[in-house]
Amino acid sequence: MNRYEPPAALHDTATDRLAAPMGRRIDRQAPRRFQFEGTPYAGYAGDTLASALIANGRYLLSRSFKYHRPRGPLTLAGQDANTLVQLPDEPNVLADTQPLTEGLSVYGQNYAGSLDADRDMKLGALAKFMPVGFYYRAFYKPKGVWKYWEPLIRKKAGLGVFDLDADAGYHDKAYLFADVAVVGSGPAGLKAALTAADGGARVLLIEQEPELGGALTYARFATDTAPSERLLDDLVAEVEAHDNIRLLCNATCNGWFKDHYLPVIQGRRLYKVRAKACIVASGAFDQPAIFRNNDLPGIMLASAAQRLMRHYAIKPGQRAVVLTGNDDGYLAALDLVEQGVEVAALVDMRAAPNETKLGDAVEAQGIARYREHTIFEAHHAKAHHRVTGVELRPIAGRGEVGEARTDIACDVVCMSAGYMPAYQLLCQAGGKLSYCDETAQFAISGLPKRLYVAGSANGFHALDRVVHDGARAATQALRDLGHQVDVLDAPKGALEQVNYPWPMFAHPKGKEFVDFDEDLQIADIINATRHGYRDVQLVKRFSTVGMGPSQGRHSALPTARLVAAATERSVSDTGVTTARPPFAAETLAHLAGRHFDPFRQTPMHRRHVELGAHMMPAGDWQRPAYYPSRAGTLERLRCQQEEARHVREKVGIIDVSTLGGIEVRGPDAAEFINRIYTFGFLKQPIGRTRYAAMTNEQGVVIDDGVSCRLAEDHFYVTATTSGVGRVYQSMLQWNAQWRLDVDIANVTSAYAAVNVAGPLARQLLERVCTGVDLSAEAFPYLGLREGFIGEAPAYLLRVGFVGELGFELHVPSRYGEYLWDTLMEAGKDLELRPFGVEAQRLLRLEKGHVIIGQDTDGMSHPFEINMGWAVNRTKPFFVGRRAVDILHSHPPLRRLVGFRLPSTSAKPLEGHLVLEGERISGNVTSCEYSPTLDAIIGLAYAAPERGEPGQRITIRTEGGETVTADVVALPFFDPDNQRQEL
Amino acid sequence: MPHAIFTAKRTPLTPTLKADDDVVHLNGYTLAAATPDAANARRGQLDRCALLDASALPRLGLRGPNAAQALIQQGYCLPERPNTASFQPEGSLIAQLSASEFLLLGAPSLTPSPWADSEQPLRPGPGCYLLPRQDTHGWLALTGHCVAEVMAKLCGVDLSPAAFPVGGVAQTSVARINAIVINASTASRPCFYLLMDSASATYLWSVLEDAIDEFDGARLGLMDYLAIAG
Repeated sequence: MNRYEPPAALHDTATDRLAAPMGRRIDRQAPRRFQFEGTPYAGYAGDTLASALIANGRYLLSRSFKYHRPRGPLTLAGQDANTLVQLPDEPNVLADTQPLTEGLSVYGQNYAGSLDADRDMKLGALAKFMPVGFYYRAFYKPKGVWKYWEPLIRKKAGLGVFDLDADAGYHDKAYLFADVAVVGSGPAGLKAALTAADGGARVLLIEQEPELGGALTYARFATDTAPSERLLDDLVAEVEAHDNIRLLCNATCNGWFKDHYLPVIQGRRLYKVRAKACIVASGAFDQPAIFRNNDLPGIMLASAAQRLMRHYAIKPGQRAVVLTGNDDGYLAALDLVEQGVEVAALVDMRAAPNETKLGDAVEAQGIARYREHTIFEAHHAKAHHRVTGVELRPIAGRGEVGEARTDIACDVVCMSAGYMPAYQLLCQAGGKLSYCDETAQFAISGLPKRLYVAGSANGFHALDRVVHDGARAATQALRDLGHQVDVLDAPKGALEQVNYPWPMFAHPKGKEFVDFDEDLQIADIINATRHGYRDVQLVKRFSTVGMGPSQGRHSALPTARLVAAATERSVSDTGVTTARPPFAAETLAHLAGRHFDPFRQTPMHRRHVELGAHMMPAGDWQRPAYYPSRAGTLERLRCQQEEARHVREKVGIIDVSTLGGIEVRGPDAAEFINRIYTFGFLKQPIGRTRYAAMTNEQGVVIDDGVSCRLAEDHFYVTATTSGVGRVYQSMLQWNAQWRLDVDIANVTSAYAAVNVAGPLARQLLERVCTGVDLSAEAFPYLGLREGFIGEAPAYLLRVGFVGELGFELHVPSRYGEYLWDTLMEAGKDLELRPFGVEAQRLLRLEKGHVIIGQDTDGMSHPFEINMGWAVNRTKPFFVGRRAVDILHSHPPLRRLVGFRLPSTSAKPLEGHLVLEGERISGNVTSCEYSPTLDAIIGLAYAAPERGEPGQRITIRTEGGETVTADVVALPFFDPDNQRQEL
Repeated sequence: MPHAIFTAKRTPLTPTLKADDDVVHLNGYTLAAATPDAANARRGQLDRCALLDASALPRLGLRGPNAAQALIQQGYCLPERPNTASFQPEGSLIAQLSASEFLLLGAPSLTPSPWADSEQPLRPGPGCYLLPRQDTHGWLALTGHCVAEVMAKLCGVDLSPAAFPVGGVAQTSVARINAIVINASTASRPCFYLLMDSASATYLWSVLEDAIDEFDGARLGLMDYLAIAG
């Protein structure tokens, strides 16, 4: 056997680069040092990690998933899993797209021992005991055995190691808008972008690689390279200079969603592109041939070898064999020779090239040509680290070889078996792939409106036709966008034959890899069909073909062919596996990056923070839950009880700016309010407030507040903090039907409000309020006045939510902070103290006041929660009236009751169940310890027969313990309401 | 406590001022005085990317079937259709938000506005209702050549000059809250006004600060802005 033995000193440093113009991506003046597996190396800025390692003679970059076979670059374009490596803080990074940076330290992954000597490689010897789908059947019997297998399998599964402490860094999102988005900047994409931009469209050109040009930057299109080089220079210069074109390089369009909504990842940003039309010029993926050991390091696609030379100025090897099923292999062989690589053989699976001159050209270079031959097996040294030679056989039939054997030594094999269009985005959009048995190629049809395909993704490969097709797609887009343009015809003539129909040659010893990611061989796919999986989608799920990082870019076509043959159908019948977004791997950081979490703050927010309040969310609002206790601590119960006691004994102030506010103005304002709320409002006097409960059409109480009549035709109504949006929406919706002459305005943010509550409240207000007689006689409970607090115009409402003498002051929000400052300053000697939401909840509970949403649920009607008094049943209509009547006529199912427990009892929590024997009869909705009453008090739904004072209810508390509580009359405190009406 | 230096009116983003800071009063609000030097640098910042709180400038809303007529009678020039705005000769701006709703934004000017303390000059009659936009809405301004790109980080509506010309009004979602975006650019300087729920002004300010960072953006005081642009 011929085996290639490289010279000992080969590729010792990064200085063995080809001369310019090779190496368009690297900056030879900017060396970069890095480490791989602890060994120092050098490369250049512009290198990828993989190119720099290859420049240093290192092809083995990773180990395969299942058999731990050594792997090296296959595509050099980030389209395969052979270059997955471990960065310090990120696993599974593609070395062929990872830019080389100074000081980068990288390791291989998925090995036991070292990358070069992986002990797990012995798994390959057990391959025949691990056929496709074996793990679906092997580890579940006998019953219970999985728990023993699972730790072992989990240890072996997976690739890199995730650093849980890693900081992903700042990621964000942004929208981009375009008339035409062009995906791919190869010759078709460049021409499409230029044509569309010249036609007046705003164009976004998205390119996955660092520079424009696509295949023009690395591939060879003819023996004479000058025309394609000029075309590249001209197109790129025009595109870069065009005002109508925005360029995004290093950007991956990761999906197509309805109406041309395209997620595009560039660096740490996810762009959400909105385009009116989209041209996919994504190119085609070079396809590997399938033969024994086709995965050895040093065996790569012909395009990968060309990328090494033109992008990075690297000789792929010293002695090459080119295996081809199309003319591009000939062109690649010419490239290799021109760059000093000895091409030991050009192995053409066909009888002759399409372009006969190419055969003459390679022979003129002294390259031995083998026609209708294939590589049957690749050879390697003991450790499999690099291909050392190939065994050629003549092709005797589809997938069959003859006996004559030729061995050729080499250190690199370049394959070009055909092309698969990069159809992923198009299929995501609903495009249908059809296979032509004659050309062995796919075509796509059925694309949605304003989505176009161009270039090699559309089946064209000759450069002039590719360029023409790009222009054709752009003219179609322009026309469909309403521009005046003559639409070009499609390139004329039959499609070029670029695919060899059956580049797969089974070997008796196997290891002919169809799917490199999942270590799947020809027999694995065929065996899957023998298990009865005829559908290619089921074959995928059973065998996992196409489910690895490269997502079937190189395995979909051979799998379709193998399944079709094994099931005696055509590839048109079997189709290929579905392509779903994302096109390429995307990080969670991209999806999660820079999320928006809106919050709302009252005009007094800064003061709460200055006072050290513990803030809590209330919907979008940030509210003070409680302020530090006298001891300076922030213990919830202590603070709550101190604040509540202070309100009962002196005076407190709470920021209630979050209360909803709605103004209803106009001649029909009273009629409107009367229809919306359950009480009667037609006769509500000006200068008075009235409790307002709102039911929906099902009779369920959905909100409450206070109606303030400011004028005959002007109401200001409050709503709950979380409910005002719904109330406002509901009001607009109803009046769309009623057509009453009113204006309805949500003025929640227009007013800042505080509740001044406690026995000293009036005394405090008398110091700051002008324009209002604050005496009990002149301004009684439920009264409404307009006056001033200092300089601020204010509505003053006599309210009693917390059961003390109280004034709610509403001022334009621009005066909110001033209102707070004024009151705090004036109340110093009265020991005025702010109180938070927690104290307010306790105080209102002592008064038995219901909080809608906390003490009610989606079924609570007014009579169930003892609010029958708030329903005017003499008026002809209010929203929900009919339902309330019906509900009230039925026997009650439950009732909201007040209960009381000794202070030493276990304290029920909100949500704890009320039991009637074994039956659940209700639940606790509110419960607190009341320092005023020295008892635990609460509200709960209970069976109706337990609703009267003197009854007892059983509550199951934390840990399952039950307590028996006394049902008591409400309110718990100040039953005659003397305090609030002072 | 530094409260004493403030007037009674405060914007949602009233800055923390020290007792010895130079302050001025505009429309009843206390603002940091314009910094006397480096006007060119500030002008450059405005051209590049700047964010400022314009909430001390007057604004109000007018709505109802007779709102348009009321404004015309007052001598205002109305936009041609909803979601557009028209500049008034004295520098104020009227944005039409629907067939029967208008938003009036006072001129960015050092001259105290007649709307500052009273909305009565508009004398709304029947079928015409004043809306308290001075209090319901905060007003931010974003200036510089990158305004559309900044907004593209926050808003799903195309606000590029081609799609959103001067005088355009977008009532949309910005960073997940409702906002009115108005293209108030001049011939020499792109400028967007953003009006949002005043309780959300702090939130949107923080979001915008983050967004402009990429464009070398900076905060600018309203008085500095008015000294240059007013």
